[in-house]
Amino acid sequence: MEDLVRKAIAGSDADYTEVRIEREERSQADFQRDKLENLEQSSELGGIVRCLCDGGWGIAVLNDPAKLPAKVAEATRTARLVAARRDEPVKLADAPVVQESVRAEIENDFRTVPLEKKKRLAESYNDLLLNHDKRIVSTRVRYNDSFREVTYANSEGTFIAQEIPDVTLLLVAVASDGAANIQQGFKSLGEAGGFDVVLNREDEARAVAKRAIDLVAARSVEGGKYTVILDPELAGVFIHEAFGHFCEADFLYQNERLKKIMTIGTRFAERNLNVVDDGYIPGLRGNTPYDDEGVARAKTYLIKNGVLTNLLHSRQTAKKMGASPTGNARAVSYAFEPIVRMTNTYIEPGSDTFEEMLRGIDRGVYAVKAYGGETVFEQFTFSAAYAYEIRDGEVGDLLKDVVLTGNLFETLRAIDMIGPDLKIEGSSGGCGKGEQSPLPVTAGAPHIRARKVTIGGK
Amino acid sequence: MNALIERLAARVDQGEVYRIRSRTVPIQFTSGHLDSIKTNETEGMALRVIADGKLGFATTTDMEDQNTLIDAAVAASAFGDTVDFRFPETDAPTPVSVYDPAIAALSEEEMITLGDHLISRLTKLDSEVDINISLAKSIERVSIENTSDRQLEDKRTLFSVSLEVSKAREGDIFILSDSASVRRFDDFKPEAMLARLTRLLEYGKKLAPVASRPLPVVFTPNGTITLLLPLIVGFNGKAVYMGTSPLKGRMGEKVFDERFSVTDDGTVPFGPRSGGFDDEGIPTMATSLISDGTVKAFTYDLRTAALAGTRSTGNGYKGGLFGGGFRNVPAIGMNNVIVAEGKAAEEKLISEIEEGLLVESVLGLGQGNINAGEFSNNVAVAFKIENGRVVGRVKNTMIAGNVYTLLRDSLIGVGRKAEWAHGALLAPAIAVDGVSVVGEGT
Repeated sequence: MEDLVRKAIAGSDADYTEVRIEREERSQADFQRDKLENLEQSSELGGIVRCLCDGGWGIAVLNDPAKLPAKVAEATRTARLVAARRDEPVKLADAPVVQESVRAEIENDFRTVPLEKKKRLAESYNDLLLNHDKRIVSTRVRYNDSFREVTYANSEGTFIAQEIPDVTLLLVAVASDGAANIQQGFKSLGEAGGFDVVLNREDEARAVAKRAIDLVAARSVEGGKYTVILDPELAGVFIHEAFGHFCEADFLYQNERLKKIMTIGTRFAERNLNVVDDGYIPGLRGNTPYDDEGVARAKTYLIKNGVLTNLLHSRQTAKKMGASPTGNARAVSYAFEPIVRMTNTYIEPGSDTFEEMLRGIDRGVYAVKAYGGETVFEQFTFSAAYAYEIRDGEVGDLLKDVVLTGNLFETLRAIDMIGPDLKIEGSSGGCGKGEQSPLPVTAGAPHIRARKVTIGGK
Repeated sequence: MNALIERLAARVDQGEVYRIRSRTVPIQFTSGHLDSIKTNETEGMALRVIADGKLGFATTTDMEDQNTLIDAAVAASAFGDTVDFRFPETDAPTPVSVYDPAIAALSEEEMITLGDHLISRLTKLDSEVDINISLAKSIERVSIENTSDRQLEDKRTLFSVSLEVSKAREGDIFILSDSASVRRFDDFKPEAMLARLTRLLEYGKKLAPVASRPLPVVFTPNGTITLLLPLIVGFNGKAVYMGTSPLKGRMGEKVFDERFSVTDDGTVPFGPRSGGFDDEGIPTMATSLISDGTVKAFTYDLRTAALAGTRSTGNGYKGGLFGGGFRNVPAIGMNNVIVAEGKAAEEKLISEIEEGLLVESVLGLGQGNINAGEFSNNVAVAFKIENGRVVGRVKNTMIAGNVYTLLRDSLIGVGRKAEWAHGALLAPAIAVDGVSVVGEGT
């Protein structure tokens, strides 16, 4: 394969050529209620070529590596077509030439675990969920693993081989009171690790089933504006969804107005807020030792002491904005070109305790875990898996149907307290941007408190 | 019978081979600049086997190495679930047109020219807007063969355009998007798309406050997905079988207003999700789900149909609610979802509202307790209606409701002109009363 890649690049007429070949082995055991929906072990091989000619990009995707030279020629042809119809040529920021091999170091490699054992593990969690209570009407337990070997090379001389392991587990329990009241509890986890990651999760499975049952009896939150405490997971989703995406330079580098809004040095929050995107923290599934342009990982402060400090860049956006590449050009698979993405994104810990946060809240909401989230420019929305009422400084009843929404800039300024208890976790899903989903990322934070957050409801 | 099927027939009770080969050419414009041309030539193969009555699955992109694929699927079947269905036997696919030579012949230059045209027209409309466009043409060959002697092949074209127009000011960013997916090039109507965007940009020029209270809401054809998504989940035969759908046990009951009818239809000529057969080789059909408010059918794939003691409705698709690739096991997915047209013009529905919202799109689709029919979303693009007129755009506003309640008790009216949206949905505007709104005004 290495020869094939080197030869294809050597034979290219383009100004810049890069090739990425990906081989994946994956397996899945997926239970839904009492049925094994899927049990599979599959493999996949594919690649992508990107050529830059006279400042235009041509891209070609393939499954058969024997077609590499033909695809380099095709990408060169389309790149020229783009260059002829584009006013401003694309240029790339400099990046060091790298020759490196990154091996995965995982304990209990899931590739050596028989498929039957993966099935039995998923089944055991599923049984726990199903047998918890007769009000559990449905369940979902999905185990996934993936081992990718990614070979990246470009015409500048960079050649990188990386192994990327990923293992995820999703536990869902759906409970119903027999009528239309249908509620769910879930736990979703993922790591760049081995089979051990998904073992010994029985207590979490029980908690999932219990939460589904509890939510059936919970009351709906009343819509309105509240002082809100977010748990680390939900605060992580907030910082990823609402703010992180805003820092992806490909979204604003050609837009003067947005660039102005996101000028480095602008104050966005109180002095206590620090936000980081870090390309490597052992075990986290957002890890990207080298990104899909061959740029090494970095720890990038997006916000330092409340002030916008950096954006996340590809080589193209960095060149255009006079910045340095940050190792955030990532592709979800061989079928896609790299675009600017986050890796492991988190809010740094502060010093405000949970008790201090509760103090002074007459009527508030403690929102826990994220069910989902979406953001369009400065508007964000995300739903909590569950929440608790806060009354007169104390955590009270369980609440359901808690969807938080707001304006990013207002909400960042409204963060007034940050706890010491940073937690960064991966989920079984991932991040979506454009067509590229789900990309493994993690997000995290300590507990944080924000004033005047809108919560939808009846 | 080809060699792979023969080999399968010798080793397992039943086998099914799904192959897809596609060539897709996406062209990307960012902030008004042509960015890239991509040629995406991919192929993949999925194998389902039933051995000793148990189901196994495997996929590959290596079309030559069939032994590894068979071994993997058979190995998985050893621990698979016992299933009680047969891969379908020979009967003809539904004759539906899904291939247009004009899309196949479309050149990259022509697509760039079309993109340039859209950008220059939109820029003329409003010089402050930032425009992202992607155009793509795709030719797809899908084949299904199984040990029940079925051999099917479909050749499908698709041309799609998605467009994002944004206008940023300090503290306010207005973003509009639109998309079209057509299997016949002539069905792409750039003028209609531009007219729609023009109207929405005009509506959005001013901001309008909205207070927190229950209000009538007109969902535009694009916005109706907010109401339809919980229904698509609820009419999924598996959710009904599993008991997570509120529609369980309500077949034949009048659950909705009698002016509301919905059909799942894979036979619409050149419909964006039409085809001769689903991903399990079942001929596509038109299935009335709701007729004059009455629950008529649920959607099924082969496996769920066998569990529920009914027949597949031709809704077995590989990958998610709205289709996907060869990598996934077939599950229940939709064909074209068609909401029957009503009597009122969209303008008339708006004109009869004293105070309410016009909702074009929301954030976080599927958020809220969707199983129970609930939606709870921040509006992405929505407008305030006052005294029968659209007066401005609303921001930071949430809408919430239960579609089963709203479409039973609070339907104001259904528009008389259905439009394609989301590459899967043909719906007119729908107006409902009593949607809970949380806004910033008083």
